[in-house]
Amino acid sequence: MSRRGRWAGWIALAAVFVWSALSTEVSLGRTIEGLPFMWDFIRRMVPPDPSVLGNALRGAIQTVQIAIVGTGVAAVLALPLGFAAARNSSPAWLFYGARSLLNVFRAVDTLVYALFFVAAVGLGPFPGVLAVVVYTTTVLAKLYSEAIEAIEPGPVEAVRATGATQLQVLRWGVVPQLVPQFLSFTLYRFETNVRAAAILGFVGAGGIGFYVQTYLRLLNYPAAASALLVLIALVMIIDFASSRIRARLV
Amino acid sequence: MIRVRGLRKDYPGGPRALDGIDLDVGRGEFVALIGSSGAGKSTLLRCLNGLVAPTAGQVWIGDRLVTGASAEARRHIRAGIGFVFQQFNLLRRLTVLENALVGRLAHVSRWRSLAGWFGSDEVARAEAALARVGLEGVAARRVDTLSGGQQQRVAIARALLQAPAVILADEPMASLDPALAHTVMELLRRINREDGITVIASLHVLDLAQAYGRRIVGLSRGRVVHDGPPDSLDAAATTRIFGAAAAGSGAGAPA
Repeated sequence: MSRRGRWAGWIALAAVFVWSALSTEVSLGRTIEGLPFMWDFIRRMVPPDPSVLGNALRGAIQTVQIAIVGTGVAAVLALPLGFAAARNSSPAWLFYGARSLLNVFRAVDTLVYALFFVAAVGLGPFPGVLAVVVYTTTVLAKLYSEAIEAIEPGPVEAVRATGATQLQVLRWGVVPQLVPQFLSFTLYRFETNVRAAAILGFVGAGGIGFYVQTYLRLLNYPAAASALLVLIALVMIIDFASSRIRARLV
Repeated sequence: MIRVRGLRKDYPGGPRALDGIDLDVGRGEFVALIGSSGAGKSTLLRCLNGLVAPTAGQVWIGDRLVTGASAEARRHIRAGIGFVFQQFNLLRRLTVLENALVGRLAHVSRWRSLAGWFGSDEVARAEAALARVGLEGVAARRVDTLSGGQQQRVAIARALLQAPAVILADEPMASLDPALAHTVMELLRRINREDGITVIASLHVLDLAQAYGRRIVGLSRGRVVHDGPPDSLDAAATTRIFGAAAAGSGAGAPA
């Protein structure tokens, strides 16, 4: 790109930023005016109400369960889709079809799917599971397909050179290259899905988010604080455990 | 043992890789295949075990015709030919033992091998092969924790476990430093002498070819331009193989 073109690019970027800031009514003054209210909000949460810990824990467990079932089903559905969406394992028509399908469905986030499924099957954790399944399937299929495309051809050729059958080549040349990566991606999505599932309750799709939102709506701040603390602890524990396991996989 | 007639290979859009190769290799020979990169060494070796299908010509291994054979027949032929690669081509995340056992895939029950169950006699056989290439006590380690020289020996153990009549080695020492290169070549020579396995090793380093090959075949632009014992490799032959630029450097490594 020419020098002048690059300058024009930076100026355009700055213009878009300023225009967006004005449109979104960004204001330092209002932020400062809001500070006492933020402080008041936090102060009302202290001390957290321990009597709702039981509810919060039940909600937290349900959130993890939504993430477990949603991620598990998605991991299975993503397998054939991943191979279909990899350039080196799929004919062109299937590859382009699968890629386009994944891109369309990945454009919408889990929370939007949750709204759709709550309307379709009613309130509760089940629409949450469905929402996690749809979004996670598209993301995992994309990640799987990239791992399939990055496979090393050398070891595959070496297994073929021993006189192995097609299935044996798949089992000993391809699978060992893919399985640890697939597991690692799936665990990573599970982590993200615990966080996603935690807010699904805001739209009526079960889990701890339901309690956080209900307590806030009832202006019961100490109870909301308990639920939030349980949520934070939950996310931290899951992230820690999952990243430890992932580090051992690759 | 190996008979090649009029072998030609054209890659679509590329230059002709093999341009009419005729070659006979007897049982138990140790042939060093030399030539600059792009001379067709890798393609020739891959045509011998059917990994690459030639455009024209015939290859026999023993009394079996490789070229034009069915996929299943070529698979059986490949089972009797070990192949050692420049980049080792091991499965990085598997153990040393598992990588060695890959050499047994054509010999064991297919369904058991898919489940990863080889049985104790196969494991013992693999451990013996690993010991033979000088790798004892590392069977349970992940193969990518080994040094390059050790990894190439795992690859040689894998080839040995096929119980092959022929081992083809494609620049087996090109990724190793000179001292290790000798270890690997020495190992191939021992296997050749002790087991009577025919070895064809492609090399781009002249002194290694002369030290280990009992017969030197020179390739240039997909043709055999030299064929004879190590001492027949004079300046004229070197020029034919590597071009005029390399002739002055004698037995050194041509660039």
